Amino acid sequence: MTQEISSLMDGELGAYEAERAIRSCCATSESAQKWQEYHLISDVLRGGRPHPSGTAERVRRALGAEPAIVARPRRALDTTFGRVALAAAASVATIGVVGWIGSQGGADAPGAMVAKNPAAVQPVAHKPAAVAVPAPTADVQDYLAAHRQIPSPDLYRTVTNRAPAAPAAAR
Amino acid sequence: MRVAGSPVARRILPALALGFACSAHAAPNDPIAWLARAAQAARAVTYEGVYVHTNGERTSTVRIAHVNHGGEEHERIEPLDGASMEIVRRNDEMYCRFPDAKTVRLDPRITNRFFPAILSASAETIAASYDVKLGKSERVLGHECQWIRLDPRDDLRFSQRLCSELSTGLILRAKVLNGQRQVIEQYTFTDLRIGPQAARADLKSIFRAHGRQWLTDGQPRDETANADTGWTVVRAPQGFQKVAELKRTLPGRAQPVSQIVLTDGVASLSVFVEAAAPPRTVESSSEDGTTAFYARPMGEQLVTVLGEVPLATAQLVARNVARRP
Repeated sequence: MTQEISSLMDGELGAYEAERAIRSCCATSESAQKWQEYHLISDVLRGGRPHPSGTAERVRRALGAEPAIVARPRRALDTTFGRVALAAAASVATIGVVGWIGSQGGADAPGAMVAKNPAAVQPVAHKPAAVAVPAPTADVQDYLAAHRQIPSPDLYRTVTNRAPAAPAAAR
Repeated sequence: MRVAGSPVARRILPALALGFACSAHAAPNDPIAWLARAAQAARAVTYEGVYVHTNGERTSTVRIAHVNHGGEEHERIEPLDGASMEIVRRNDEMYCRFPDAKTVRLDPRITNRFFPAILSASAETIAASYDVKLGKSERVLGHECQWIRLDPRDDLRFSQRLCSELSTGLILRAKVLNGQRQVIEQYTFTDLRIGPQAARADLKSIFRAHGRQWLTDGQPRDETANADTGWTVVRAPQGFQKVAELKRTLPGRAQPVSQIVLTDGVASLSVFVEAAAPPRTVESSSEDGTTAFYARPMGEQLVTVLGEVPLATAQLVARNVARRP
């Protein structure tokens, strides 16, 4: 079959054989690919520019199949503003997280937090001296939700949502 | 159990009439009567609005609509911060809808007290633990408002300040003060409509809105308010009464957790007893706003007390937990 394609390209086939070769050439993706490759080879051998259509399509398709990379362009970080903003955001996030831990009343290993970020001293220091031992912060939330009956998917029993039976649906 | 069909929110006009009927004026100088009226108003008055709740470092905004319909309370509560959800309460049945999860969940109301319904006992019971006085009157949110001052008779609880609307008694603002007279918790309406026009549109019940039947999942009710957990609080602090004893399913626990709820009519606390796995040896505690948390190991059990009380009260209660004889 590849011989047929080759012959076809070289103009060696008669009308009948040519028609058959063209038909078979487009019948499978494999032969279509061969057709494209032979054209590419012949273009290159003749010193001309490669036939653009098939290659471009394949490249496009291959790109489409690639997983999209979701990332900020590197250029954004190269600006001074970008750097400053990122640094500021990181600081705020750190303070926020530390502050949040403090607000949870956990005061989990306050010494470690102080060493990491001096800004954390304040929220932790605000906690009353009564905090003697690190508290399991996650646990507090569970008990708080149970005590106040704060709605949470874990505490509320599921109620089935059932559409009415067929006759009732008409109402 | 079939919990709701369609005619839940048929017409609410009778409820509105009732709301007004309850707005008779209190005796001008009797603080206990003012307190009783404020408690009653939270159940009987029709209102709709938004309030802000600040407790320690947490702040949340909540939209609430409340109607008393033929003696039945209907309430719709929608927290405006965080994950989207709404709670519809019919008397003591609380239905919680999570739109994202497309589920409705049911819980009987036990400890839950949404502002302005923060008083859970009679005025006389509350007066046994608090010295009740009238404060100044002032204009709040466009309404004339009378401050009621509740100062504790001991150091087991916090001071309360309630601002009761003059014509209906509804509490428009509430503050909790610690021993140093600092405000550590506050509720305040930021938007409020009282009376017939208030809650009509907002109270369309979710059952009706969806034209569907909501059925419970038929699970056995282990979380009844009167379960025998086998645990008791001996010598409960002065004024605190047990209002519920139940077994709760908490996330991440293989066994249900025993819960005993005590209240003095304003402040409440929960005692949790569970098998500690692995057994713990250290106590832990924290305080944020009015919320005290204290956990102590007791043999192979872990006793945890959490409530709107000073930490010392939580510790006192936790040390007095024992097996029921």
